[in-house]
Amino acid sequence: MRYDSVLDMIGDTPLLRLDPAVHGVPDAEIFLKLESANPFGSVKDRVAWGLLRDHIDGIVENGQVVVEASSGNTAKALQIIASMHGVGFRAFTNRVRVREVREMLSLLGTDVTEMPGLSECPDPTAPNDVFGVIGDLVESEPGRYHHTSQYTNEDNLRAHYEQTGREIHRDAGPVDLLVGGLGTTGSTRGAATYLRERNPETAVVGVVAAEGDFIPGIRSAAEMWEVGLFEPGFYDAIAAVDSADAISASLELATRHGVLAGPTTGAAYAAARERLLSGPGGPVTAVVIACDRMEPYLSYYRHRRPDLFGAGRPAVSGAAPSVTPGELEAWTAAGEHVVVVDVRTALAFQAGHIPGAINLRDDLLEQVLEAGMPFSEASRVVFVCPTGDRSERFAARAAAAGRAAYSLEGGVLGWRDSGRPLAGV
Amino acid sequence: MSARHPLPAAQHPIVARFLTDGVAVNEATGRFGSPLHVVFPQVMAENAAALTAVLRRHGVPHDVFYAHKVNASTALLAEAYAAGLGADVASSAELDRALAAGFAPDRIEATGPKSPAFIERIAALGVTANADDLWELDRLAAAAPVGSSVPVLLRLSGFASSVVPQSRFGIDLADADAALEIVRRAPGLDLRGVAFHLDTADPAARVDALTESMAVVAAAHRAGLRPSVIDIGGGLRQRFVDDPEPFQRYAQALAVAGPEDLVWPGHDLVAPTAHKYGNHRPATDVLEGFLTAEIERRPVAEVLRECMLTLWIEPGKALVDHGGLTLATVLYRKNAAGRDLAVLDLTRNQVTPADQEVLLDPVLVDGRGDPPDDGVFLAGRLCLESDLISRRKVFLDSELASGDVLAFVNTAAYQMDLSASAAAGHPPPPKVAAVLDGDRFIVTDDASDDRHRS
Repeated sequence: MRYDSVLDMIGDTPLLRLDPAVHGVPDAEIFLKLESANPFGSVKDRVAWGLLRDHIDGIVENGQVVVEASSGNTAKALQIIASMHGVGFRAFTNRVRVREVREMLSLLGTDVTEMPGLSECPDPTAPNDVFGVIGDLVESEPGRYHHTSQYTNEDNLRAHYEQTGREIHRDAGPVDLLVGGLGTTGSTRGAATYLRERNPETAVVGVVAAEGDFIPGIRSAAEMWEVGLFEPGFYDAIAAVDSADAISASLELATRHGVLAGPTTGAAYAAARERLLSGPGGPVTAVVIACDRMEPYLSYYRHRRPDLFGAGRPAVSGAAPSVTPGELEAWTAAGEHVVVVDVRTALAFQAGHIPGAINLRDDLLEQVLEAGMPFSEASRVVFVCPTGDRSERFAARAAAAGRAAYSLEGGVLGWRDSGRPLAGV
Repeated sequence: MSARHPLPAAQHPIVARFLTDGVAVNEATGRFGSPLHVVFPQVMAENAAALTAVLRRHGVPHDVFYAHKVNASTALLAEAYAAGLGADVASSAELDRALAAGFAPDRIEATGPKSPAFIERIAALGVTANADDLWELDRLAAAAPVGSSVPVLLRLSGFASSVVPQSRFGIDLADADAALEIVRRAPGLDLRGVAFHLDTADPAARVDALTESMAVVAAAHRAGLRPSVIDIGGGLRQRFVDDPEPFQRYAQALAVAGPEDLVWPGHDLVAPTAHKYGNHRPATDVLEGFLTAEIERRPVAEVLRECMLTLWIEPGKALVDHGGLTLATVLYRKNAAGRDLAVLDLTRNQVTPADQEVLLDPVLVDGRGDPPDDGVFLAGRLCLESDLISRRKVFLDSELASGDVLAFVNTAAYQMDLSASAAAGHPPPPKVAAVLDGDRFIVTDDASDDRHRS
């Protein structure tokens, strides 16, 4: 299909019917509204364009800079649209962020101001409030900035009312249940308002992160109160989902349904299924908003599910030759060629290591060893970890491959505590 | 008239029991008068155990120092000693109290800006000095006897990360090399490690500060020094409410209320939903959030172990959270400026830290009857228009009358002592310690306050 502007590709996203034999909820038709199919990758493309469409000509004419409180998909979409029109964009945030999202914004050249969290001191000075800072900025130079204000701007709702809701109804017919994550609340409120005009019985479930937990892109129930557009009475239920369930559900969507969706979509899918399974049963049409893709959250998955990334594999069995600090010093003093491999993080290595050691952290060393044994048979190799347990595993493995390999007894801690010198980088 | 907006405070079971035990409250006010500060050492012991349990569970070598400045109480200080904590002192007077409570000098750490006389004592005793400035280091170096090894922490600031709040305290990172050089050259000083203190619950800020501090640890090794401690200070949260929703509804109502509907004229009040008084998550969550946050894709707890650093923390608020309350008596009710007032035998600054409005309702001891429809403002006894105990309307469970006793809960953290004045001849309320022994409270004089100042 031919397009003349990438902005024309925003919206009209696919509605995917999930195979009932796989989702397992009796009598239920569950659809995913694949907002991840938007050109910049998320449901926020509609919001960004919806907030700028009617103003962009004036912004360009007046050379204004667009400002918004966002650290994620809205910032990304606003940045791209602003760049395409040759105008500046600034993002403000004090919310937890995901590495890949941060890197993506860097790549796009976004000017991000990250702010400290709220002060805990018994000091009456003003808190570091993002909205206050944006307000001050806008007031400091009248006319210089255009604040899109996704958390309070009704254009956010309108974009979803006129497009998302209409598309869902066109493709799925009357909807009994709409489930989506709550950030600004624009997508669920906008789309559901349209759907309820066609079917007043449409139930709407807003999904939030369990208190104290973090799911990127949505808020916790407590944090919803600072969202201007939030209307608690609009929702039939606010469902709190924890990150573990969100991750499991998104993995299920990926492996069983072939949908690569992020953790927020996982949370919404988990909440939808929970509600359907605990409901009265009977035929029901449910739509879950899939707001973005899985790939930008790899670090999030890795942090919470290290087991999926190869951590905790069983050690190679076998005797691990060891060496005492004194013996190691004697070898070096005798002019022997010894490679000392410190498997701790770079930060720990920098802060203090055995003089002459090289740094190859354990998970990277694992990867290297998968490809082959990098050390010479002609030199001794001594592996060093904090206390001498992790290094045994590598020593055993290298010894099994015919290397003169050893684990330093007591690790670098024992080395330090015996009064031997450490080098810093 | 406005809708009711009660802000019920969370109560520790021991505190709740004290307040419903009519005998205990009556005995305390009967013997010691009103107003009265009451501290609960047993609650502090629980808090200390909870924090150290988190550190132990994550396998982090650690030491916990009680930031004594949070409350002048000697009963709480004695409890910190009994719990095996160290003492963090901010003045010569606090140092005296710590020594008197039994802390050995090597279990005491001195933080904050220090006078020359205080520095002399620190050096002579071998108390750990958490240095705020190069000036202090120079004086410490001069004061430390040759051959001694007075332990020194460098309190760092000026971090590049924008999520780390700026601070007026500490040694700028740009001066860290100069600081290391002073310690290296001083024959009587021993670099114990580096320190920072952030007054935020944000784990990202502590992670960034920790990462930047490690450059100083590395520089110390290069200089031949042997740092073994990373001190992240305090700044953990207090848990003021069980349920955050009333607070959030109130915050929302404040934003839309008429200017003088909920707040006394002339005073602005904003309550962001992340406000400290709306917090229902315990300090252990903040600590846990830090230890499980990632540096180089590895949890902080593991990175600390790898870096061979002992983690020091200096909680104050988190240790005395729910460890105290303040009793006051209603003198009389009146109507003034078109509003309902209850005048108390208390002064705002004797129960309010740094003039920061306390967004929690006091508890009416022995209250009876139905909740009144409208709220009431609580006034203090000074000759200042601004001496209101609450500048916001509070919504209590029953109507107040002359002679009623109000309990302000969870006041042990800074609220009792930080700003308390003796204006107009009203001394700060005396302090007592209440200990639950079997099924009754034993209330004793807490010879606590600054009457002991030397």
